[in-house]
Amino acid sequence: MTEQIDKALAREYEAGFVSAVESETFEPGLDEDVIRRISEVKGEPEWMLEWRLKAFRVWQEMEEPEWAHLSYPKIDLQSVSYYSAPKSMKDKPKSLDEVDPELLRTYEKLGIPLIEQQMLAGVAVDAVFDSVSVVTTFREKLEEAGVIFCPISEAVHKYPDLIKKYIGSVVPTKDNYFAALNCAVFTDGSFVYIPKGTRCPMELSTYFRINEQNTGQFERTLIIADEGSHVSYLEGCTAPQRDENQLHAAVVELVAMDNAEIKYSTVQNWYPGDEDGKGGIYNFVTKRGICHTNAKISWTQVETGSAVTWKYPSCVLKGDNSVGEFYSVALTRGRQQADTGTKMIHIGKNTKSTIISKGISAGKSNNSYRGLVRMNPGAEGARNFTQCDSLLIGDQCGAHTFPYVESRNPSAIVEHEATTSKVSDDQMFLCRQRGVDPEKAVSMIVNGFCKEVFKELPMEFAVEAGKLLEISLEGSVG
Amino acid sequence: MSNENVLLSIKDLHASVEEKNILKGLNLDIKPGEVHAIMGPNGAGKSTTGYVLSGRDGYEVDSGSATLDGQDLFDMDVEERARAGLFLAFQYPVEIPGVSNLEFLKVSVDSQREARGEEALTSAEFLKLAKEACKQVNLPVSFLKRGVNEGFSGGEKKRNEIMQMILLKPKLCILDETDSGLDIDAMQVVANGVNSQRDSERSFIVVTHYQRLLDYIKPDFVHVLADGKIVKSGDASLAKELEAQGYAWLQTEPTEDEIED
Amino acid sequence: MSEWLQHAIAHADSIQDGFADQRATSLALLTDTKWPSRKTEAWKYTPLRAVERSSAVFKEESPELTPVDVEGLDFLELTFVDGQLVSMPEDLPEGLTIEMQESDLFTTIKPARHIFGLVNDVLAADVAVVTVAENVKIDSVLRINNLLSNGAQGHIRVVVELEAGAALKVVENAEAHGATLTTAYTEFLIGAGAHLEHYRFALQSGDNVALGGSHFKLLGKATLNSSIIGFGSDLQRIDTDIIYAGEKAEAKLNAIYLLDGTELFDLHANVEHAVPNCTTEENIRGIAGDRSRAVFNGRIHIHRDAQKTLAELNNRNLLLSDKAEINTKPELEIYADDVRCAHGATIAEIDKKALYYLQTRGVSRSQAQLMLSFGFINELIDQMPTAELAEWVRPIIRDRFAQMEVK
Repeated sequence: MTEQIDKALAREYEAGFVSAVESETFEPGLDEDVIRRISEVKGEPEWMLEWRLKAFRVWQEMEEPEWAHLSYPKIDLQSVSYYSAPKSMKDKPKSLDEVDPELLRTYEKLGIPLIEQQMLAGVAVDAVFDSVSVVTTFREKLEEAGVIFCPISEAVHKYPDLIKKYIGSVVPTKDNYFAALNCAVFTDGSFVYIPKGTRCPMELSTYFRINEQNTGQFERTLIIADEGSHVSYLEGCTAPQRDENQLHAAVVELVAMDNAEIKYSTVQNWYPGDEDGKGGIYNFVTKRGICHTNAKISWTQVETGSAVTWKYPSCVLKGDNSVGEFYSVALTRGRQQADTGTKMIHIGKNTKSTIISKGISAGKSNNSYRGLVRMNPGAEGARNFTQCDSLLIGDQCGAHTFPYVESRNPSAIVEHEATTSKVSDDQMFLCRQRGVDPEKAVSMIVNGFCKEVFKELPMEFAVEAGKLLEISLEGSVG
Repeated sequence: MSNENVLLSIKDLHASVEEKNILKGLNLDIKPGEVHAIMGPNGAGKSTTGYVLSGRDGYEVDSGSATLDGQDLFDMDVEERARAGLFLAFQYPVEIPGVSNLEFLKVSVDSQREARGEEALTSAEFLKLAKEACKQVNLPVSFLKRGVNEGFSGGEKKRNEIMQMILLKPKLCILDETDSGLDIDAMQVVANGVNSQRDSERSFIVVTHYQRLLDYIKPDFVHVLADGKIVKSGDASLAKELEAQGYAWLQTEPTEDEIED
Repeated sequence: MSEWLQHAIAHADSIQDGFADQRATSLALLTDTKWPSRKTEAWKYTPLRAVERSSAVFKEESPELTPVDVEGLDFLELTFVDGQLVSMPEDLPEGLTIEMQESDLFTTIKPARHIFGLVNDVLAADVAVVTVAENVKIDSVLRINNLLSNGAQGHIRVVVELEAGAALKVVENAEAHGATLTTAYTEFLIGAGAHLEHYRFALQSGDNVALGGSHFKLLGKATLNSSIIGFGSDLQRIDTDIIYAGEKAEAKLNAIYLLDGTELFDLHANVEHAVPNCTTEENIRGIAGDRSRAVFNGRIHIHRDAQKTLAELNNRNLLLSDKAEINTKPELEIYADDVRCAHGATIAEIDKKALYYLQTRGVSRSQAQLMLSFGFINELIDQMPTAELAEWVRPIIRDRFAQMEVK
């Protein structure tokens, strides 16, 4: 039965094409000069450059972390190009009509039409291509509601006070090696500000695409939900199929002011490398949100891509009664490695957090959940519930659970549970006895295993995530 | 018997599990519309018959043949046999967490319709059928939303099996000890569900250790399976006879490894 | 390298015996090992200040010390004082032998990675080897006493081997009289079909430092039932490893820690399922009061071929004070698919409903809290197979509860 499941898991990476776009790309290499040049092409103010340089100096003193359950050759950061942008973007197109049609075709092919008439109603998209934002849709409509949704490079110019106040406020420069690197070399990303008491009228979404060879993508996202506001944000990512590994080191910072709510969903489908582990994206991402009084941040992620994933979307529950949630599905196959989870730091009184993690390991992959739940002395009456389930498919993969639980408050309650299971022969037999194809049976069982997480995704994404898993599990069965 | 009007034909079937011979020359012909009961002591090969016919992994056919509607069953994959009209109601139905009963049934029915070149049912049509099927086996409609067999009681699992049978409309139903673990009331519900599906086309193999289920599902034929083959066949009165006498009279000197079992 | 370690190593040079080669190997490893800091995963929550500050010395002469009595049990006593073997049982039952090992002692059950295991390799002078012959079942309980006099440092090592089909009960008992420092490692090889009933009592609270481990290797169909009961001290660290080397072996580990004052207790339990068809059950319960700190790490590692493994770990903790701290990390590392593995960890306060229920029956709040906390621990005491030991330790735990301030 395992053999059939394995075959059912074999898949094509549908987003693996390369777009024929002429780009302006920096020579590989990293030094202060490169950072100055990034800042210069972005036309940044002096304070931004200073911030970058300071981060660079901090980063130079840091060492690459080795605690994760991952093994990959040391990344040569001098062989990476830190900036690449389509030439056509140099003139800063004013409207969609001026955008290189090849770029628009790329997104269309990925299922993200950028022409507003064709788009999913109710979703505004910021499309980031290598190091630049290509277009941000529905901006006028959002502006009517007072919502700012624009590339972060633009926000540096237009909203310097907000940027200065919040950039690095949730993930400090020196937080970790990859975050510090991002601070020094970040190129673009999205900026969102939701004014007080506003419910963002649309879903906001950023779609990241790496296209150029030998480039790293270092995007940075900053979302500020002012008091009593509400926003749902989606993130998607893909990259061409290449034999070389490419680095993606992003930073996402969320600020949920009093009574605000941010729902952040990710469908991560970076190129995972081939069956033998050749190629694929190295995905080192720092995502963290801070919740003020009564605020809520909910992270939902569906991780199917990347050769290596190192990612721990976290919540700092600073305000009383604030709520943090983490729902995750991570599927690894081939030789993929994922070390992902979350941190819930309970500082305020009556703070609550929920962690639901579903790891599916197949092939020769390794899939680890790593999490921290910390109850600080002041976290009176705080609660956490964690459920980590692993599903193993085949006997060549690994599924691991590394939860850290720390409590310093006697009235706080922490509950952690972890289980492992496999797609059992009995389940497969029942499905097939009722006439269901083995591959459909596997995908149905796996989807059932992930149900608790999928129901947290916004509607449009839930469908996409389900399909993504189905594609991941698709193949011929002999 | 080489009658053309035979639905299931098993000829000299030998099968083994983990290299142990279980079926040792089974012969059985079933015509459309007939109900056959297979009785016999534990370890005789009753459940194995159902697993071998449906193609479960680990159940090896050593020799012999089995055809359903003239098609060679052993040439087909598990799901192909199901689509050809073979349905096995499990003695111990497995749980599939997170996969709702409704979703599971829709996929099953769709797969089978597709294989027969029929159009898929719309969700609304299907839901209507599923609700009716639930009613027939006395399962609350809310069970459609629950995970497949997840947290069901023994009786609920058995009723869920019959409900699936009602929806899938197979040609041949094998009920594997469907009465085990049921009280009289639950057994009656199950039997009513089965009886409602009896017609001149659909055939049944009722595998049971006890006679009592046969008070509710009246068989046309009763076979006694012992040591891998049918040792006695008769009409419904044979079941009564067995009830009175037990199976002891069937057993010859047991071999050593049988004692161990 | 810490100053303490440098002194300790200097002392090792003065030991003259047949272990010089092995000692040199361990010393080389030790010299290569970084002195643990907060960044060292295995010592993340357990600072070694108490070791560095310890003024315990190697004594030339030690006072006479005798271990505590346990009513109803006549132990076979193997007693060390300040690291020196002072007494061996005289009349040994047939099939049980105890010898002082002269050389070649270092078995492979204790993992080489452990820094204080290496310290023990270098410093343990008297090494006892206990053997139970094939199919011999010993009724008496063997007690290994690690007694320390005020100001003393002592390092002990015992190797216990149960041959196929043998059975033995072993109690590891530590007693510290004053400010002391010890490392104590015991290795158990449990032969095919053999059964070991094991206890480790680490009830020496106060200003002592105790580092040690109980390490088990189980061959086919071997069974282990182990109970570890610890109070904290300036630093109390126990490492236990259960390594399956033969199929169909089973181990059950129950552990309790009960901390007061500024005590620190750290239990690291590691289980290696290297072969198929073995079963592990672990129940770990802890209570931390006042300003104490409890650390638990429970790792279960299912190797690639260890199919049909059943492994469960359950860790429950009660935090009684807002100055106390509990850090727990249950870990699963799984490389085989046909296994049933689960762990759970909770940190909670006393069940409020139960508290209320008792209060409605007229029990005072503080009394009710004590009853419930004691009940939480007592469930595991009840599972100790040798009733006399349970009856002995139960009042000790009850007394400790009575002293603890429950808020």
